[in-house]
Amino acid sequence: MLNVGMPNGPQSENNNPFLETSAAANLGYRWTIYEPLVMLNRVKPQEPGKPWLAAKWDWSDNYKKLVLTIRDNVKFSDGQPMTAEDVAYTFGLLKDNKALNIDAVPYKDITPAGNQVTLGFDSSQFVNQVKILQTIVVPKHIWQGIKDPALDTIKNPVGTGPYTLKSFTPQTVIVSQRDGYWQEAPKVKEIRYTSYTDNNAQVSALASGAAEWSFVFIPNYKAVYTNKDPEHYKLWFPAQLAVHGLWFNTEKAPWNSAPLRQAISKVINRDDIFNQGEAGYFYPKNDQVTGIPTPAGDPFIAPQYQGQTVKVDVAAAKAQLTGAGFTFNGDKLQDPSGKPVTLKLTVPSGWSDYITDLEIIKDNLSQIGITATVDKMNQDAWTKSVDTGDFEGLMHWTNDGATPYDMYRDVMDGNRYKPTGQGNINGNYGRFKNDEATRALETYANAEDDASRTAAMATLQKIMIDQQPMIPTSAANSGGEYSTKNWTGWPEEANPYAPAQPTLRNALDIILHLKPAA
Amino acid sequence: MRYLLQRLAFYLFTAWAAVTINFFIPRLIPGDPVQSLITKNQGTLSADAIQSLYVLFGLDKNESMVTQYFHYWAQLFRGDLGLSFTFFPTPVTEVLGDSLPWTIILVGITTIIGFLIGTALGVVAGWKRGSWVDGLLPVTTFLSSVPYFWLGLIALTLLAGPGSFFPSSGGYDPGLIPGWDPDFIGSAIQHSLLPAITILISSMGSWILGMRNMMVTVASEDYVTVAHAKGLPERRVAVGYAARNALLPSVSGFALALGFIVGGTLLVEIVFSYPGVGFELFQAVGSQDYPLMQGIFLIITLSVLVANLLADVAYLALDPRTRKAG
Repeated sequence: MLNVGMPNGPQSENNNPFLETSAAANLGYRWTIYEPLVMLNRVKPQEPGKPWLAAKWDWSDNYKKLVLTIRDNVKFSDGQPMTAEDVAYTFGLLKDNKALNIDAVPYKDITPAGNQVTLGFDSSQFVNQVKILQTIVVPKHIWQGIKDPALDTIKNPVGTGPYTLKSFTPQTVIVSQRDGYWQEAPKVKEIRYTSYTDNNAQVSALASGAAEWSFVFIPNYKAVYTNKDPEHYKLWFPAQLAVHGLWFNTEKAPWNSAPLRQAISKVINRDDIFNQGEAGYFYPKNDQVTGIPTPAGDPFIAPQYQGQTVKVDVAAAKAQLTGAGFTFNGDKLQDPSGKPVTLKLTVPSGWSDYITDLEIIKDNLSQIGITATVDKMNQDAWTKSVDTGDFEGLMHWTNDGATPYDMYRDVMDGNRYKPTGQGNINGNYGRFKNDEATRALETYANAEDDASRTAAMATLQKIMIDQQPMIPTSAANSGGEYSTKNWTGWPEEANPYAPAQPTLRNALDIILHLKPAA
Repeated sequence: MRYLLQRLAFYLFTAWAAVTINFFIPRLIPGDPVQSLITKNQGTLSADAIQSLYVLFGLDKNESMVTQYFHYWAQLFRGDLGLSFTFFPTPVTEVLGDSLPWTIILVGITTIIGFLIGTALGVVAGWKRGSWVDGLLPVTTFLSSVPYFWLGLIALTLLAGPGSFFPSSGGYDPGLIPGWDPDFIGSAIQHSLLPAITILISSMGSWILGMRNMMVTVASEDYVTVAHAKGLPERRVAVGYAARNALLPSVSGFALALGFIVGGTLLVEIVFSYPGVGFELFQAVGSQDYPLMQGIFLIITLSVLVANLLADVAYLALDPRTRKAG
């Protein structure tokens, strides 16, 4: 028995693996029932991935064609064999139901033949590879009878995974091992997923050992968690390719000035943000000049930026500002038109880590004469202000992906630009407009060869440094807390075979690695 | 009869107004459910998902507010409260079915117990003025004037926590499967003790005070003096003559309190993370879950209205004076 906990409150029975709102997604047990074609590791985005339901996959025609070879001898938990028909059916399901195609992958041709499925696309899917390869497979013989797959809660989930649903209550879900799994059966016979009502309840469950695996923010984690049993209670929060940081509305003066943004980057103390705001572990420190989180992003960083980090340098920041026409009146900074520079930072009340981060930034900014204020607001009002660009500065995140393309696209894609005041934006919250960046993003997604892709990536990094459209301070994480008391074999810094979060696809890979503690 | 029909018409109008307001208020809150889900996931849900989520939630049709409003009424008449966004596509009725029993049992029982004990103490206090029961008055008044969330938080800090008998959150031990077995019922009772006690403490004061003051007034009435003069036993005079008449205002107050069972528990359930309707409403507001919010508001409104109606009827039955046409 393995006890997994998540701080998500009472759940209602919903096992639809495609819906992010389902209990199966909130607690993560969908990944023990349904399996992906390929198991990919976000911590090592450059690794090719482990063959899972697909034994082999080949991209050709500049990522416009994908041939998947489906594994033989895989059976669904109801005993029916899984075939290329099921795989093709699943892709068809995503193609026909916009509501289920959460990654908006433009599926076109889907052809099953023998044990192969061939997918054809209109454009290069280089940047979508991961999203396509990690698609889970559902049984055609069951799903074709479902009237509206987006509105069905799938009370009796059948997949190829090693577990089946045993019982469901609003607080606890139990999955137990089935017979006839296609690879070596996991050592864990039963997994109990508990939904604790809030973070406090989740943390005390971790501290008492009632929950052995979770993903929750613990302020002061040493005192309330790891010190309770330093030998067994562990946490590991590796970086992934997405960032958290300070965004500006780059259309509003004076924040449209790149030297001002660069100078601010030079005074932000990222160590303080990591140690105080993020409790010393949650969002890993990110001080790479390109903003690409390391070590996950190392292979993408251009040679001239390798190993370069941002260091706090108040003198250089001041020099840069005066060089760009800013002046100091006493110790207050004035923009070239003579107006004092003030910055209103906004944050949803209750987001304690972001609030601390912004308080630190506010202190840092006073060193270069900028008067900043931190305004706490209602979360919905804040979300709306981000959406319509009605802000000066705030902490926000970017999307993640298998390459830094996704995060750069979020920061500076001109195709996603909408003028301040207009809402419904998909990224580019800072309203950043730079044709070179937009072209480089397009090239990266569609290039015919790796050399032009590498060049485009270098261009993006250069623009990030020269323009500083947003200032990354932390990397996003895909970590988790776990206890080695009853089970060993967890991923860790020395063996980063998967991110440690229980609600990601890799959770299944981790469960297969677990062994009873001696 | 005419009086009753008048009241009924009034309640129908109120119900219509309440449902209409329930429909519009959530939609006037800034933001929408999709943005709210994206924000909750902080980057783990791709921005590409926005379009698919609008389609999924059925928010892509650009219906005008008025069309939506009529659809909502049509749905209501079919007994359909829509699909919750937070737990999409679980129907709101199912989510409510999971949480409503918790609230009704916890708050229903405490409301009834609070009323019974409070009224009984009030009777004694009013009848035997100057006895020890009078000493309770300032204490209970003080406790009921303390803000409830403060009382709850203090109780949590002092009594709950690791190693304590009182659990600090939840409705039952995680891992138990709800059912009629001793393990589960025991655990549910254990989890409900602390919230129940705090509710009792904070609600009892007003019952005692109200009942005592009415008893004092009634005790000086002529018919009580007559009862005394007839030589009836003290107990019979107190209960059968004085208390019976003094009870009238408390009864209507009690009917109203029953109406607030569903709605009045928000703070209790948030403080104790109790899996009832109040906690559900708190979550629904956080994620812009219009259908769930509407469903909960609807139940709150209806229960208050029904309780009001009951109070009217009870008064009509108990006090002949209200039956005379005015």
